[in-house]
Amino acid sequence: MSASSISTPITAADAESDLAEFDRTTSRWGRLTMIAGLILSVAGPLYLVFFTGLDISAAQLWTAFAAVAAVFAIIWIVEPVTYFPILGPAAMYQAFMIGNISSKLLPSALVAQTRIGAKPGTRRGDFAAVAAICGAAAVHLVSLALFVGILGTWLISIIPVDVIDVARLYVLPSVLGAVIVQAILTIKQLRITIIAVAIALLVQFVLLPLVPAIAFLTTGIAVIGTIIVSWLARDRKPAAAVEN
Amino acid sequence: MSPTTSSIVSAAGESTDILAIANMPVLWICAAGVFAVILIQSVIYMKAARKAAPAAEITGPELKTAFRSGAIAAIGPSLAVVMVAIALLAVFGTPAVLVRIGLIGSAAYETGAASIAAGSAGAELGGPTYTQNVFAIAFFAMSMGGAMWMLATLILTPLMKRGGTKLAKVNPAAMSIVPGAALLGAFIALGVAEVPKSMIHVYALLTSAAVMGLCAAVGRSRKRAWLREWGLGFAIVAGLVVAYMAHTAGTPVA
Repeated sequence: MSASSISTPITAADAESDLAEFDRTTSRWGRLTMIAGLILSVAGPLYLVFFTGLDISAAQLWTAFAAVAAVFAIIWIVEPVTYFPILGPAAMYQAFMIGNISSKLLPSALVAQTRIGAKPGTRRGDFAAVAAICGAAAVHLVSLALFVGILGTWLISIIPVDVIDVARLYVLPSVLGAVIVQAILTIKQLRITIIAVAIALLVQFVLLPLVPAIAFLTTGIAVIGTIIVSWLARDRKPAAAVEN
Repeated sequence: MSPTTSSIVSAAGESTDILAIANMPVLWICAAGVFAVILIQSVIYMKAARKAAPAAEITGPELKTAFRSGAIAAIGPSLAVVMVAIALLAVFGTPAVLVRIGLIGSAAYETGAASIAAGSAGAELGGPTYTQNVFAIAFFAMSMGGAMWMLATLILTPLMKRGGTKLAKVNPAAMSIVPGAALLGAFIALGVAEVPKSMIHVYALLTSAAVMGLCAAVGRSRKRAWLREWGLGFAIVAGLVVAYMAHTAGTPVA
């Protein structure tokens, strides 16, 4: 414990190689642990699909994945690109496994940086962020394991059946109502919000009744439609200024 | 019935007893594995940071302080996630909720993905058509979606490290429009798709939206900023309470 607090004067070359060593360790182990997490997270559903005697065809799986990809594929790319400048390479491998980046990990990192007076973007800031994310991960793992993993099963067993039935039936609209408001407030683009609502209504109440076969594609169509119309109807003035 | 059919999978997955299959030991083991991986990752990172601390002009005690403040700051948001996770237990079972909603993903993306996947199988999440087969398809699609996020991170991080932030500078106008439009388009379309299902769905949707809006408005003041973290949890519970009242009011008491 005391070893880390002894400040030995180090040369610039030493510092350079120590930092390079940190980068090597975090990028190698960050990647390895993330690959392990990726494999474990798909192992469960793959086991269900192939080894439990469920009657599921490959076509069904591909259709489901394609429908999800039509909606979220852009976000898969955009999110890592957006968070990279804020998190730095080391914390990227932590953040995308622990989740809840904007609502938990970024605030944690910011609080820690403020607490010890480290500026974001500096080495001091990066290290404070990594330590803060480790702290946040510890709290998150413990609270999940305790309240959901251990007590959750017990909670489910004592909650009346009709309450669980209602939760099962109506949890989706209850999540989406809040998420829509959150998305509108975070993105703060009135024009795009209006376009998205108009296209969603059009797809759901005009296009779908006309072509019922597109049922599982509606969200994907709405996403692509919203992107295209938002792009065509964008405010061109500031964009032109950037180009010059 | 095929000979490989296990006792909990009845009639090749036509059963609606989701929890029987969603709480299988194999899934618990995989979920525990993800926990272990994150734990190991944190230990490796802390060790590496402590070793290189002097080079980064940060002291050991400062690292410890950063760890502690990060941990304390995460208590509120973590408990808020716990609340959402418990609300979703009945739909996905504990292991899937732990991995998909609690870690890797988030309630918004994962319920969205699950609902889209269930729809692609002609079923409705949580409804009478939500069989064991549909759960497996939805869980598969959610997990593959999450895997794509990780894959993008694995591929893009080294590229961006080399190329600086060049990627984000490619087209600033597109970067300011496309992600926002994709997010709003996805969630608004998913929300609108709930409307024709029943009036109770509409009540749940509107209640949840209203409570979230209220939490965001009140949470604007610095003193009540915690409300913003808890907004999603409160909104889901409020939506479910209203749905419960409407549901029990609508069914005649036997």
